Amino acid sequence: MTTTTVHAPATPMRRILNIVRLHLANPWTTIILPWVILGIIFAGTLAVWALILSVASDTADARDGLQYSGSNFFIFVYMLVVAVQAISITFPFALGFGVTRRDFYLGSALTFVLLSAAYSVALTILSLIEEATNGWGIGAQMFTTFYFGETPAERLLVFFLAFLFFFFVGAAAASVWVRWKATGLVMFFIIIGLGLIGLVALIFFAQGWPAVGEFFATAGLVGSMLWSLVITAIAGVTGFFLMRRATPTA
Amino acid sequence: MTTIIEVSNLTKNFGKLAAVDNVSFSIEENTICGLLGRNGAGKTTLMQLLTGQQFATSGDINVFGQSPVENASVLQNISFIKESQRYPEDFRAKHVFKSAPWFFANWDADFAERLIADFRLPLDRKIKKLSRGQLSSIGVIVGLASRAPLTFFDEPYLGLDAVARQIFYDRLLEDYAEHPRTIVLSTHLIDEVANLLEHVIVIDDGQIIIDETADELRGSATAVVGPSGAVDAFIGNREVLHRDGIGGLASVTIAGLTSTERADAAASGLELSPVSLQQLIIRRTNLTELGGNEKEIEARA
Repeated sequence: MTTTTVHAPATPMRRILNIVRLHLANPWTTIILPWVILGIIFAGTLAVWALILSVASDTADARDGLQYSGSNFFIFVYMLVVAVQAISITFPFALGFGVTRRDFYLGSALTFVLLSAAYSVALTILSLIEEATNGWGIGAQMFTTFYFGETPAERLLVFFLAFLFFFFVGAAAASVWVRWKATGLVMFFIIIGLGLIGLVALIFFAQGWPAVGEFFATAGLVGSMLWSLVITAIAGVTGFFLMRRATPTA
Repeated sequence: MTTIIEVSNLTKNFGKLAAVDNVSFSIEENTICGLLGRNGAGKTTLMQLLTGQQFATSGDINVFGQSPVENASVLQNISFIKESQRYPEDFRAKHVFKSAPWFFANWDADFAERLIADFRLPLDRKIKKLSRGQLSSIGVIVGLASRAPLTFFDEPYLGLDAVARQIFYDRLLEDYAEHPRTIVLSTHLIDEVANLLEHVIVIDDGQIIIDETADELRGSATAVVGPSGAVDAFIGNREVLHRDGIGGLASVTIAGLTSTERADAAASGLELSPVSLQQLIIRRTNLTELGGNEKEIEARA
């Protein structure tokens, strides 16, 4: 007969890493499916482009069109959904495993940072291949489109910041949901909406549009993206404090 | 005996509703305790408070000598299995059993595998597509194989058939004998678990109406059966918990008897029979619900 032993607490880092493992326990949603979708979109887009090139009379004009593709934007929105599910559905499950809210949130945040890093590195590598193969042989620009940045380093940073933004905004929205359910979420969107309208009105009446334009022009793509970190950080911290008092209700 | 859970003056309000209303009790280490009560009595809320999932409105909770709220050193020794457990999107049962050992230091993978075979649980099917009973068996397996020093089962076997429930009781008792630990079990199927329970706490309308060892509780009532006249003469002014009658025969449940009283009853030609835990709890719950109208019951009797 062996009495079950009461264990001393695992180190905080171990507990947080266990949450990362929990989020990645089923790699299908977080790792496999996004690449399957991206692969299909990529192959489909390339096929359509190749088809257009083969029939276009004005090839130069057609080639111009290959420089823009929004087809991989889905992956950012997809990660927002991943964050929403990770916070809202995995939370009550983790509590049943004896996890504290603090460890759960910090572990989830670390998961989001790690996924952002991995995905931005992967997309940057694809952009390098795209450059090396002269746009997959047909001058296509899926991963090197100008709005991702001009150099590989810029692209890496822009991808990373964009992923962080979508993960943490998703996490914050999900925290509002976990804490106050549908009513809270509706209030949340109303407040955000009113805030945005107020901001637009303020800029309009202060005739500040030129200044806003100038701000983004001066900041440039990378500079503007760096400013997104402010929103990302606010979302991340808000999510933490909301989740610290959240309860799992059926 | 060491006290593992100590609760004093605990209250949890949801708006105007007092789901748990100024409750005090304690649970000893290495016992199986039944937390019983009607739907909405406050069982789940109480267990959520004990596991730090809900925040108390007022009062004190000590689990392993500390507050459980956001306390990793307490919580990682607790496994809380609830009927309505949700699982991460797209999880299959195998993902649950893969991740459980990261959180439960005593996890026994061999035991889990035996239980999976016992319950015939498909590991590779999406949890969303499992039947109600299969879903319950995931929780039961986690609760048993985690061997947490403090395990809560909240209505763990919704949808499990009688065979599966018996497997659960058997495995629970076997494993408890090998690896003693504290188990708090909430259920509606009182008679099924009556033999497992060493301690019984009954909660009704947010308040604890019974907090006794199972033996005390069983000895606390007896059914006296015999001709109505003889039964009435025997019970005298005693408090009547319940009365049934057919023709000239009566079966009256009264508080427990001393051995002399038992002998008297036998001498009057009356038969004494034990009252099942379930009957006992139903009767005592009804009494409190009638708001102390025992006299009225007696008047009817």
